[in-house]
Amino acid sequence: MASLSSDERPLVRVSKVAGRYLLFDIEDVMYLRRNYNICSVFVGTIPQNPQQNLFMGLPLELMPEEAQVLVEKKVACVIDDATFHLNRLAAFDELSRRAYVQSLNNQGKQMQMAVIESQNRNKLNQQGKSKKKKKMSKTDLEEPKDMSSNNDVNGPIEADESNILFDSTPTTPKPTVKLPVEVEGYLLTPTTSSFLLPSSPRPGLDSSATVDIPASYPLFAHLHDKGYYMMPGLRFGCDYNVYPGDPLRFHSHFAGVHFGWDEEITMMDLVGGGRLGTSVKKGYLIGGAVVEDPDIKDTDTDTGHSNSRDQVNNQSRLKGGPVAPPVRTFCLEWAGM
Amino acid sequence: MVERDHGRQLADTVLDNLKYQHDWTELQILTHSPTNSELFMRPMVSGLPPRRLYVHPDDQIAMLKSSANPDGKILDTPEVEWVLPTHISEKWTLKKFAAVFDSLPAQLSAHPDRPKRIVLATIHGDSTIVYYLLHDGLVKPRQN
Repeated sequence: MASLSSDERPLVRVSKVAGRYLLFDIEDVMYLRRNYNICSVFVGTIPQNPQQNLFMGLPLELMPEEAQVLVEKKVACVIDDATFHLNRLAAFDELSRRAYVQSLNNQGKQMQMAVIESQNRNKLNQQGKSKKKKKMSKTDLEEPKDMSSNNDVNGPIEADESNILFDSTPTTPKPTVKLPVEVEGYLLTPTTSSFLLPSSPRPGLDSSATVDIPASYPLFAHLHDKGYYMMPGLRFGCDYNVYPGDPLRFHSHFAGVHFGWDEEITMMDLVGGGRLGTSVKKGYLIGGAVVEDPDIKDTDTDTGHSNSRDQVNNQSRLKGGPVAPPVRTFCLEWAGM
Repeated sequence: MVERDHGRQLADTVLDNLKYQHDWTELQILTHSPTNSELFMRPMVSGLPPRRLYVHPDDQIAMLKSSANPDGKILDTPEVEWVLPTHISEKWTLKKFAAVFDSLPAQLSAHPDRPKRIVLATIHGDSTIVYYLLHDGLVKPRQN
């Protein structure tokens, strides 16, 4: 999937579950991170170690702004999972239902065969090792360690040479299954519902569920258009931490806070934000969507901003093109005096 | 009229502070925009700091790369700065900041294409004044 060019790749499915925007497919996560500056936050616990919360796994929870920006760039569609799944499952006829169950069973079988195969391979390696050991020291044939290593492997045994050496141990020769075709198969719980999706008519943008975007969306979309990576801003008391590249490679440049065009900003907020930002080598970024006075025409001083507005008009049809409304931003740094 | 007096008083205070505490020179209070001679929203102070107040990060990198002037002597020549006096009790909006920038001339430095910059002076009731650099757009932070 990841090798597909962006044009032929179907829309990424963002699952809306209980007001959260989740991605369950690692291919989608990688695709969005590589091509569309979307990092976001993993929120799933890892099954092997559910008590810790430092290393989280799938699903990825998108900020509402991210979901909206992807929808507007025609990269993703938001699907309300509860209604979609009910509709989709009800739409199955008996035949496709059986085919789906069959495909799950097949996958389970393949999985189990793969596991058995790898167990066999491990055992062969182990036997090779223990044989070597025996050549070195034939005296400790009945070393309990070797016995246990042989006994706890319950898979089929390729060659019973080593068992002959262990004639003192009461090993019952197990039936050697060369290729276990008769496995009943694991019962799989798919992590994505991609098997359930209709194959030909992909869910389009029109079926996209609404996204409850916060007021700070214009600032987010503006920064996203400019290629910045945004992360939640709790750590620096702002709306977004703004990175010039992937956060794995870069420190963030700005602590971004959104304000409405006519929203009052207390000077103490600016001083505090500017001071904090400078002390962590960031700029304190304030910005918001421009609300034009209807009686004022564009002047020469405004050309840079009217340019970006034209781009929005021309390219909003393009996939991944800029989508932000005209936004004005200001950066604050301590002057050092 | 009250607003005008308030702005004037702030500008006077900031000018005095820059002159006597920070050794700025060529200080003057401007009430009208030099570009279109319209009245500023409030009087602004322009002046020359004793040494360069701000070095753009790209220039910092260039200075580091060119070993010819390791001390960065070239960039130590001060530039005229525009100072916007404000009081800590005020409430500003993006719209007002935008209006201030729009009434200012383009950057006088060697890089007129770079976003405009002003110094935001904020006066506290105890006469403390703090100075912040405010850029008109996305300007990456300095390496310090």
